[in-house]
Amino acid sequence: MSADLPSFQRYQLAFTARLRDPHHQPPIAGVPRERMAVYEEIVFNNLFESVSACFPVAQKVLGKRKWLKLTQAFLREYSASTPLFRKIPEQFLHYLETNQQEQALPPYLYSLCHYEWVELFAASVPEDIHHGNADASGDLAKQQPVFTASMQLLDYEYPVHKISQRHKPQQKESTQLLVYRNADDQVKFIELNAVTHSLLTLLLEQAITGEQALTLIAKELQHPQPESIIQFGLGILEDLRQQGVIIGTR
Amino acid sequence: MAVISQIQGVGLGLKRELIPQIQASYGQKELANINFLEIAPENWINVGGKSARQLEWIAERYPIVCHGLCLSLGGLSPLNVGFLQQVKTFLHQYQIPVYTEHLSYSTDGFKGEQGYLYDLLPIPFTEEAVHYVAKRIRQTQDILGQRIGVENASSYVASPVSDMKELDFINAVLEEADCLLHLDINNIYVNSVNFGFDPHAFLSGIPGERIIYSHMAGHYQQAPDLLVDTHGENVIDPVWALLEDAYQRFGTFPTLLERDNNIPPLNVLVHELNKIADYQHKARHSSAAYQPTAHVTAAAMATEL
Repeated sequence: MSADLPSFQRYQLAFTARLRDPHHQPPIAGVPRERMAVYEEIVFNNLFESVSACFPVAQKVLGKRKWLKLTQAFLREYSASTPLFRKIPEQFLHYLETNQQEQALPPYLYSLCHYEWVELFAASVPEDIHHGNADASGDLAKQQPVFTASMQLLDYEYPVHKISQRHKPQQKESTQLLVYRNADDQVKFIELNAVTHSLLTLLLEQAITGEQALTLIAKELQHPQPESIIQFGLGILEDLRQQGVIIGTR
Repeated sequence: MAVISQIQGVGLGLKRELIPQIQASYGQKELANINFLEIAPENWINVGGKSARQLEWIAERYPIVCHGLCLSLGGLSPLNVGFLQQVKTFLHQYQIPVYTEHLSYSTDGFKGEQGYLYDLLPIPFTEEAVHYVAKRIRQTQDILGQRIGVENASSYVASPVSDMKELDFINAVLEEADCLLHLDINNIYVNSVNFGFDPHAFLSGIPGERIIYSHMAGHYQQAPDLLVDTHGENVIDPVWALLEDAYQRFGTFPTLLERDNNIPPLNVLVHELNKIADYQHKARHSSAAYQPTAHVTAAAMATEL
């Protein structure tokens, strides 16, 4: 497929093919091995460090050998589409999601990696410039709550926040969290119960007030006293405003 | 608001770990020889949170230059126009008057893909490559509405398909693209050892009038004939001698220290910044290097193209 390219580009393709897969691609004629090895090491090590820095738990849980194989496969098989360095972990996540792996990986690995990545994402996502319009002390019941742009609702099949080298989940356990960056630029996770997760999902997806969302929740739960659900839920929303998850209303 | 004429004297490559130290010592005599700072757009475009606040703090106090890493001027993949639009917005947002890139490539994408490898790979020096790279530089300058500088890259492998010398390649590209030169003094030295040529003779063939600013850095000696451009060591004497030679030949030009690895505390790092300032002070000749008209902003430069 590269026969019609100029010689310098055919050479570039052979060069980068070797960088991506030094163990299988042939050495390049006329290029000393030890010189080529400098590039092979630099390219892999940089990528390895960028990825590993974001996924310390996944790395430990998987073990050195498997983690190395996985990052080598990432370099070999994935065509990264963004020049932004902080998005390398996101590309790795996309690779995990879309590529079949040769080696057997734990079923929770993707969820765990997503959980580790989302912390980085929340730390660096830009503020929404329109959020300046939110009324910080507005009425959460009668108006629409506005969430900080860094807030993400997370729904995992595994208890990702409890995974460690010593605690590897043996079975699925539905887990709902939210992550956000507070006014002091610290990233925080909050564990949610299923009802709060539904409430926040409604508020994120639909342009409705706190009271409207809670009325829908009460209906769904077929609660005999919807008013108590609404009062309880408004308390939760007020608490989220205190913590900086909700920045106001509109 | 920074204008191109403010990019003068001595600069420092901005690493995140240095920011708290710069903030703590800002305004003190110790930092007198930090006249401008350099950032990679790939690290700062569209950041929020703490990074955004730090960048705003820096941009309010220092002239900034952008030195890109992943534009892949020599790459097979299509020039990333979407990214260049982001760069353009970023330059305007922070009033950054200078954008430079490398004479290298960092992608191997085929058929529309990018395929970033996030590193600086050596372009073979051929006639066809000259035209290819020069065209992409021109395209970049058209999109940005301003001239860019391109840096002579370090490398470890001499491509067997090259049919010209590095110096001839650089000069041909500069001429054909009509762009500026971001002169990396350490890279000349690294390549002179890796490929066995006289760095001072190389310097004498450089078009001094195109120099926008220069880089100084340290490297790692892996073998007597193999230097690796790590930016992780102090600048060595032969590289200082090259800088002195360059100032003698072309007059002084803005010069920036890159330190990316093994970074010492700022109060140690400034010794090398002070040394650059001393060399500039000593150089008697008036500068023949690129002299922008005073008060030309990035936006105003657009109309000059």
